[in-house]
Amino acid sequence: MGRYLLRRTFVLALSLIAAGLVLFVLLRLLPGDPAAALLSVGADEAQIAAARAQVGSDQPIWVQLGMFLSDLARFDLGKSFVSGTPVLPEIAARLSVTLPLTVASFLLAVAIAVPLGIISALRADRWYGALLSAVSQLGIAVPVFWIGVLLIWLVAVKWRMLPASGFPMKGWQDFPGAFRALILPVLTISLVMSASLMRYVRSATLDVLGADYLRNARALGASFPRALIRHGIRNGAVPVISILGIELASTLLGAVVVERVFALPGLGSMLLLGIQQRDYPTVQGVLLVSTLLVLLIGFVADVVQRLIDPRLRETVAGR
Amino acid sequence: MNTKRLSVHIFGLASAALLSAGAALAADPAAVIRVGSLYEPQNLDNTAGAGQGINEAFNDNVYEALFRLNDDGSVTPALAEKHEVSEDGLTHSFTLKPGVTFHSGEPLTAADVKYSIERVTAETSKSSRKKSLSTIESIDTPDDKTVVIKLKSKSISLPYNLSYVWVVNDAAGDITAKEDGTGPYKLADWKRGSALSLEAFDGYWGDKPANSGAIFSYFTEAAALNNALLTDAVDVITSVQSPDALAQFEDASAFKISEGKSTTKQIMAYNDRVAPFDNVKVRKALARAVDKKKLLEAIWGDRGMVLGSFVPPTDAWYEDLTSVDAYDPESAKALLAEAGFPEGFTFTLETPNYDPHPITAEFLKAELAKIGVTVNIHVITANEWYTKVYQAKDFQATLQEHVNHRDVVFYGNPDFYWGYNNPKVTELVAAAEASDTEAQQADKLREANRIITEDAASNWLFLYPQIVVSNTATTGYPLNGLNAQFFLRGIAKE
Amino acid sequence: MRRTSLWIGAILVGINVAVALLTLVWLPYDPTAMAGGRLQPPSWAHWAGTDRLGRDYFTQVMIGARIALTVGIGAAALGGLIGTTLGVLSAFAQRGIDDALAATLDILIAFPTLLLAMLVVAASDGASLGTAILAIGIAMSAILARLVRILTKRVLAQDYITAARCSGLGWGRIVLVHVLPNIAPTVLVAIALQFGLAVIAEASLSYLGLGAPPPNASWGQLLQSAQSTVYNAPIGVIAPGLALMALVLGINFLADGLRDLLDPERGAA
Repeated sequence: MGRYLLRRTFVLALSLIAAGLVLFVLLRLLPGDPAAALLSVGADEAQIAAARAQVGSDQPIWVQLGMFLSDLARFDLGKSFVSGTPVLPEIAARLSVTLPLTVASFLLAVAIAVPLGIISALRADRWYGALLSAVSQLGIAVPVFWIGVLLIWLVAVKWRMLPASGFPMKGWQDFPGAFRALILPVLTISLVMSASLMRYVRSATLDVLGADYLRNARALGASFPRALIRHGIRNGAVPVISILGIELASTLLGAVVVERVFALPGLGSMLLLGIQQRDYPTVQGVLLVSTLLVLLIGFVADVVQRLIDPRLRETVAGR
Repeated sequence: MNTKRLSVHIFGLASAALLSAGAALAADPAAVIRVGSLYEPQNLDNTAGAGQGINEAFNDNVYEALFRLNDDGSVTPALAEKHEVSEDGLTHSFTLKPGVTFHSGEPLTAADVKYSIERVTAETSKSSRKKSLSTIESIDTPDDKTVVIKLKSKSISLPYNLSYVWVVNDAAGDITAKEDGTGPYKLADWKRGSALSLEAFDGYWGDKPANSGAIFSYFTEAAALNNALLTDAVDVITSVQSPDALAQFEDASAFKISEGKSTTKQIMAYNDRVAPFDNVKVRKALARAVDKKKLLEAIWGDRGMVLGSFVPPTDAWYEDLTSVDAYDPESAKALLAEAGFPEGFTFTLETPNYDPHPITAEFLKAELAKIGVTVNIHVITANEWYTKVYQAKDFQATLQEHVNHRDVVFYGNPDFYWGYNNPKVTELVAAAEASDTEAQQADKLREANRIITEDAASNWLFLYPQIVVSNTATTGYPLNGLNAQFFLRGIAKE
Repeated sequence: MRRTSLWIGAILVGINVAVALLTLVWLPYDPTAMAGGRLQPPSWAHWAGTDRLGRDYFTQVMIGARIALTVGIGAAALGGLIGTTLGVLSAFAQRGIDDALAATLDILIAFPTLLLAMLVVAASDGASLGTAILAIGIAMSAILARLVRILTKRVLAQDYITAARCSGLGWGRIVLVHVLPNIAPTVLVAIALQFGLAVIAEASLSYLGLGAPPPNASWGQLLQSAQSTVYNAPIGVIAPGLALMALVLGINFLADGLRDLLDPERGAA
């Protein structure tokens, strides 16, 4: 296990460096000058040159790369071209919206999906089992922003129960305000996410129910719930955990759209604006951090799976 | 924090009751005005490419200037107490108001004003007003209260141009993330991507504002902005993007819709340098082929106004020129044939990807198809527009909204992106600036505008309506929003 | 029950395909004609009302079906082709190359489709259907490649492959004869599911303003522009959303049904 952890950490670090390099090059391939974001109608040649010098887009690309790497080695993500403020504290501030949003949505989705998924598998022959799987089918088939727009329309605008959008100025210091602001976005994400999770839980449960070890355990005299808990959950959890990892990661990435719908000042809206303004340090910073988070999630999911299921330790590439 | 706030409020209440008889009886001087806006500033320095959002939040609220561009378009002294002009019109001396202090506590001196003007004209400044101040030859400060500006040539609009120059404390340094102005409000907090809050400045030299502060909340979607007002998350929204959104505010007991005077013009600018748009007949034909009234109706219902030239009614040199190239598809076809395009031609229209440009582009495509002209709509981002059209001038025709006040002078610059080059117009625009009186300036610019219109330099489509919506409890906000300004000091809330 | 899902899926997708084909030859209204008066509620003349330029909304939703299918098919074909090729190659490659490929795929999967889309859009001079297909196809290929790689490795570990190797069968033949037929059912179902996700992804891109410009407006774009008038014309948000849901639902049902047909053993479980 120790050797595996070491190897896996090495791969993680390497992936991150590769991602950084790829990002840097890809962003510079974009047409459009980042200096343009600083200018307005009426700017003359001298102003344009000054703006280019300020953001460094007048330098050759390898000079820009060198500066980027040396900054990165000092955990400095640079300063925004547009606002002139450092990117890292900004990302930290934005994460205080995006992380709670992602984690809360994820937990709520798991809390909905796991029991309902198991019920719909155990009671597949009853009407409510069938209804549950039909509802989960619907949930998979809708775009998350559609649910968001409909919820805003009904809950916030028509019924005036919750704020339609935005996040309190004081952030989490205004706890009730921040909490209320996140209710609708969290509901939106978790409704859609629990639908797909439920399907995985359901099929994992069905697999477990049909498995030999469960029949053996019951034949050996264990009661059904006892057999299910002792053998079923352990076996069923392995594929579910890998799916959970992927779902958590995609929630983080999918937050862009939801943050747009609810006008939340999170990482996603920072990324969108950064891309529009060709604010390279901002885009690089956000993507590096989000890539790091996604890779970390994958790392944790892999390690947990191996802890649960010793058989995985012998597979070819350790995945 | 809370107790301190409270004591300020009580004091404010007493002084308001005693002093300001003009304010509504029920107005609450402790109220914080919540403003919803689509224009978040990118930073806090108007010479560092902060965008129009910083004018909205800071002009006359946080920073004052020697002169103020009022909401009605007039220019009156603000920090300047006296303004004297020499016989030849080249030397302007300004005496500063006494007793003015910056938010940091330092007193206002002539050196601060000199520093502030030079900030705008500096090499690194990205201010859109830099060019208009280039007639300044030198700035002297004979004493702490006097600023003397010497000009290279006469400039009738110097006070107007100075209204764009924030007076900043010369010791403030980099102001992209902080401020030090003399205005009635100081910056309390700024959360990028979300909101900016201002609170009343106790040491302000003038009258106390009718409220204790303001919060600007920023949105990227018009729908979210409207919902914010609808759900009472903000008191007033500074721009409405479509008439259909107004339907939800029709309940007069809860909301108030006001229409001000706008300077925002939707135009189709040709690249006048390249064929076929170097041909005045082609340009006139395209102007006559578009039913602007129908376009305006489609986009704005019964609001807004059809344009006959680039000049809106708020400028003194406005006149109704809609009859010059009125809607007439038949004569458009004839003109095209005369110009050598009896079968029409094809061109690419660079279209910014945000409303209402895509809709306008589709409409133009349908209209021009009727005279045989094919339009390829090419959708671009604001950034691409800036690089490709504005900077590289690599385009055939483009849609754009021009928001500036008094901006017909752009046609006097042959290097401008649209490449209109008529020496007569350039000369008239320069002569207008050297005028002795405002009437003379207006005459010159009116003459220039007539020539520009006869040349159909661009296709001026319509003037956006300027709509502000608030809840009924909020009053006293500016309606016209010239130069995107949003004066807070008079806003009262019950 | 199992057959029902195949039938429901086939009907829903069939309607969509029929509508999409119909739009090529006939439309109820000229999609650019502003004749109906702005934001009319649904009526016999305009089944889904009109948009804010007075254009028939049902016509636009119909065109949206064509756009959705085009993007879905394009992205699925592109993603399937690249994904399968990469996955099989990676499974056959030496350990070092295989690890590098696997890590690259992980990074690609960690990248938001949104960024890929932005890059493709920027690099190809403006958003269009093609850019959306390319961006979603690339993102999809990474996911499929990872699946194909694992499946192929599983097949390669079987005894009969060793037997085939011993009998002198070349790798190319092994891929054609043993690997592809074995992994096909699972991969096809995965592609079908990705098809549905591609339709949703395209809607999201359009919603963020990165999709094809009008008149090729997709459902996502219709939703985006109708959002600001949901208060007075909710049909503008509801209609394209329902259409999208029907299509994706149909595809998912079809995929489920297909899995049972192709893989009866699992279906019986």
